Amino acid sequence: MRSFQRVALSLALLLLPLFPASAKESAITIARSVSTTAMDPGFLREAATIVDNVFDTLVMRDADMKLVPGLAVAWRPLDDTTWEFDLRKDVKFHDGEVFDANAVKFTIDRILDPKANSPTLSYIRTIASVEVVTPYTVRVKTSGPDPLLPTRMSRYPTYIVPPRYVQEVGNDVFAAKPVGTGPYAFVEFVPDRHVILQANPDYWRGRPAIDRVTWRAIPDGTARITALLTGEADIVENVPVDLAPMVEQSPDADLVSVRNGGLTVYLGLVMKDAPLDELKVRQALDAAIDRKGIVDNILRGMATPKGTQVGPADFGYVDIPPTPYDPEKARALLKEAGHPDGFTVKMQSTHRYMKDGEVAQAIAQQFGDVGVKVDLEVLDWSVYTQQVPHTGPIFMLGWGSTQTLDADAAVYAIMKSGEPYSAANVPELDALLDESRSIVDPERRRSVLEKIQKVAAETVPLLTLYQEDALYGKAKDVEFVGRPDARIPVYEIRRADAE
Amino acid sequence: MKSLRFVAGRAVQGVIVMAGVSLIVFFALFLTGDPAAVMMPPDANRAEIEAFRHAMGYDDPILVQYLRFVGGVASGDFGRSLRFQRPAFDLLFERLPATALLAVTALLWSSLLGFVLGTLAAVRKNGAIDFAIRVISLLGQAVPVFWLGLLLIIVFSLKLRWLPSGGIGTPAQLVMPSLALGAYYFSAITRLVRASLIEVLGENYIRTARAKGTSEWRIVVHHAMRNALIPVITVQGMYFASLLGGALITEIIFAWPGIGRLAVDSIQTKDFPVVQAVVLFAAFVFVVTNFLVDVAHVFLNPRVRL
Repeated sequence: MRSFQRVALSLALLLLPLFPASAKESAITIARSVSTTAMDPGFLREAATIVDNVFDTLVMRDADMKLVPGLAVAWRPLDDTTWEFDLRKDVKFHDGEVFDANAVKFTIDRILDPKANSPTLSYIRTIASVEVVTPYTVRVKTSGPDPLLPTRMSRYPTYIVPPRYVQEVGNDVFAAKPVGTGPYAFVEFVPDRHVILQANPDYWRGRPAIDRVTWRAIPDGTARITALLTGEADIVENVPVDLAPMVEQSPDADLVSVRNGGLTVYLGLVMKDAPLDELKVRQALDAAIDRKGIVDNILRGMATPKGTQVGPADFGYVDIPPTPYDPEKARALLKEAGHPDGFTVKMQSTHRYMKDGEVAQAIAQQFGDVGVKVDLEVLDWSVYTQQVPHTGPIFMLGWGSTQTLDADAAVYAIMKSGEPYSAANVPELDALLDESRSIVDPERRRSVLEKIQKVAAETVPLLTLYQEDALYGKAKDVEFVGRPDARIPVYEIRRADAE
Repeated sequence: MKSLRFVAGRAVQGVIVMAGVSLIVFFALFLTGDPAAVMMPPDANRAEIEAFRHAMGYDDPILVQYLRFVGGVASGDFGRSLRFQRPAFDLLFERLPATALLAVTALLWSSLLGFVLGTLAAVRKNGAIDFAIRVISLLGQAVPVFWLGLLLIIVFSLKLRWLPSGGIGTPAQLVMPSLALGAYYFSAITRLVRASLIEVLGENYIRTARAKGTSEWRIVVHHAMRNALIPVITVQGMYFASLLGGALITEIIFAWPGIGRLAVDSIQTKDFPVVQAVVLFAAFVFVVTNFLVDVAHVFLNPRVRL
């Protein structure tokens, strides 16, 4: 045993140079739960977390989630379907290529090209064409009024790419060796091992404080938290709820919890079939759920019970309190609806959200308490996504608007009848949802979005449960607060004792 | 002549197995649905999902898709990964060295220790040492690898801080994954060596050697071991073949960039071409290893040739 100890210690000593203990180098390691596959922002099939540090968008979001100038210094609507953007004149890509209006046009045309089959086309499908007016002015034309266009220009897939480089090397090489205008330049990508970025000294917002960033993928939760607590990682994403106390109690790390930074979890209801086609039945189920109990006891308070799918930081949010837990009322409603003895119903859930298995069990039991017997089925995500929203008839899903911070993203796709993820069927809601997408005037739009949420609360097309917090872990000497839009902009991160 | 026919027969069998595997892989994946639901972003509309299906050929009749798949594989093209946008086979080959390193290390320590302890247990049959070794090897086979892996991380990384929790690049990072992965094989080999050796030690020629007054250790090492090792080496060939297909759980827990992790990620995201490439590769390695072991037996063991 002692010889093993000696071997392990000498191996550990060999390793020391790999883990810079000194903060002077201002390097940082960030561990995520998922592996990076490719880094072409126009063709992403994963979160843009890393890409976000290499590329810039025309419009950006500051720490308060307000839209602020990025590569565009100003923008304005010229009419209902035309937006004009004035571009920065002093920006270069990491390889020296000049950023201008052509780059913007190239970036968007590349995604709109039907032959390209971009997986992220849906995020900018309202764009009809891009027109270069002067080398530093572009006009974006939309096929109909699109009030969200500036927001669309603040997230992927509209990170601006360098036309010359992309054409020279082709999409495949670009995805493995990206070049952008962002605060960090790409250094190395070894699949399933790491992505390394180096600070861009000529960044137009100023040189970043952290010189080098290493992104690692550690799929297992315990291993990820261990890496944080042992100093192998400085920031980790996705802290499992059960391991959160371990991070909180550690002398070397802090838990960073972003209130309402996660998905809003709800129960979808296949409304076309009995008995869920009856309003009173849906209201009864809504009242049968003890949201506060679930959040406090199962989720350790790391979520917020909610009455609307829209997040508090979203444009168009209206504060609707969560439906109160009232089993008596639930039983009475079931009786009124002609189900005095309740009924049996199937409920599907998956493994994707915080403690989803236990939450689904708890809800099944609470439904059982008012006489609705639940036959619970838990499926693997890859199978689950193909059955949602058709099989159900009750299914658990998490939905988010953190990427756009606009109510539209939170409601349209899951409440408009016929959308791929919607099982709802409320004509009044459909009309309002369509109307909301045709208005450019912000105040009128806000009032329609608010109305949508009020009508949803009355007609109960789905049962909103709670919004998860986003949980990160960070080393004590790292300044990192987490953002409601789930990005990790290393540009905003500091090491406490670094110069 | 007979041996040649035997070898040819085995080769034909191997081809049939591969054809069967390709059928099963393809249709089993097909049964789980098409990848559009997982690969497309949540707010994609019907037209965009259909366009993706069409571009990928998922709207063709299943037989057409299968023939295209087999035709591609026959010419070395396993298709392009939907997630990575790169050839599936390249992804697999990039990860082969990591998987092979882990497999070799795990098999090496488990074989060496397994031989020593198995032999010790057989020689001291029913003694205290034998009992202890049997308990250890039983535990090694009974403990699930995910549990052992997490335990190692908690003890050696979190508490003692001796070893890094995962990743690849230094010898220290190889210690825990190969321990976790090899535990099962160590136990299996220990038990096999013990059983095999005990059987051989009961043979007539061993009794003859004992009657001649040969020392016990000489009997074990020079006379018994050679015959006892035949089944052990066969089994090791199989273990190595299955390990090259990727150690799914071990690679996930220790963030090891191997084929197993690629397989799990690809299954979860329905990256069909990669899943097919990994399964076919694993089957291929298995069939080839099996074939080589069979052929080796023909030349090593006269009884097989009959």
